[in-house]
Amino acid sequence: MTLTVVNNATCTFCGCVCDDIELHADETRILKAKKACVLGTAWFLNHTVERKYPDALIDGKEATLDEAIEAAATHLHAADMPLVYGMSNTTCEAQRECVALADLLGGLLDSHTSL
Amino acid sequence: MYWGGNPAECHPRHFTKYALMPKSKFLPRGRKDRTAVLVDIRPTKSAKAADIFLQVRPGKDFELITILRALIKDQKVSEEAVAETGITLEQCTDLIERMKKAKFGCVFFGMGLSMTRGKHMNSAALLTLAAEMNAFTKFVAMPMRGHGNVTGADVIMRWQTGYPFGITFNRGYPRYNPGEFSTVDVLVRGDADAAFIIGADPGATMPQPAIDHLARIPTIVLDPHVTHTSNLAKVHITTAPAGIAAPGTAYRMDEIPLPLKPALKSPYPTDEEVVRRIKQAIVKKPFWMPEGAQMTAAQV
Repeated sequence: MTLTVVNNATCTFCGCVCDDIELHADETRILKAKKACVLGTAWFLNHTVERKYPDALIDGKEATLDEAIEAAATHLHAADMPLVYGMSNTTCEAQRECVALADLLGGLLDSHTSL
Repeated sequence: MYWGGNPAECHPRHFTKYALMPKSKFLPRGRKDRTAVLVDIRPTKSAKAADIFLQVRPGKDFELITILRALIKDQKVSEEAVAETGITLEQCTDLIERMKKAKFGCVFFGMGLSMTRGKHMNSAALLTLAAEMNAFTKFVAMPMRGHGNVTGADVIMRWQTGYPFGITFNRGYPRYNPGEFSTVDVLVRGDADAAFIIGADPGATMPQPAIDHLARIPTIVLDPHVTHTSNLAKVHITTAPAGIAAPGTAYRMDEIPLPLKPALKSPYPTDEEVVRRIKQAIVKKPFWMPEGAQMTAAQV
């Protein structure tokens, strides 16, 4: 078991995006989040890399990633007015892909801002 | 100024790390060089951190902002109108004086303003007040963003489409119209016939008619957890949590981009990778636009 320390880590729990957190982690979980607030600490400590969930679910049944990607593409392509929504708890890089996806589909694109 | 927000409990480090305490070249004494005002319908924990607490009557934010806008221009306001807001005229004029005397004012507004009666009209009024204050001093307004990278979503959509949210590409180019293309409206009306949900859990947060529609149509969810939305979705794909096990960039609420430093390695793919692969799978299918229109480089 190796322990790693990440200095000046960035917390994405709330919109403050504090970037001075000191994370102490082993291979599966974060053990300590120094300087983080109560909300940030809970955010960091509650995520682990255990395989808690199946790779993918189709109609509630376990499926492989490849099957799920194909199923997602088929449903979105078949739709006349597909909606791409959310994008809050993800990276800008993924958000850029989402914009391209909505553009490709001729669909709707929206985030939490409109709520 | 904080308006309709409770940073003490929702953004615990906002006072200490960003808005009230930090010492700087122009504010060497930190908190002592600043005046903090809280406007809210009840004295929350944040009221203790403020120098002035103004208790506005619920649903009267728009009226109070409009009165302040009149007062900064020395226009007359009726006493009854002021009395209705729950704030006295003396409190209003004192606030205006302090706002005008400030070298640099900032209003942070929360969901207590933007999600209550009046909704986006309240936000619009406050933004106008901040804009008009610039006739006297430097003044800005900023929403207190809840979720991690929701600011990033605004910035990325603005960069790519010219609009921050509520967009449609159904004519092949982006158009913007909140109310028509915003998600809750689209779902409640039953317009959308498929939904792709990423980094959000509308199944836990949206009004019931919107959730019901998500359950009727094929919904695809990308999330590190199996969420409420996953349970009503056609397809769920587990992805690595951003910032914890996935690298990338996130925007702070003041639109400063910051790199994420994941401490863990996830067995799941990142959001970016999965969205790109779904996009690639769609590119192989016939393009939806009729009459031989071509996909653009940005789409591919």
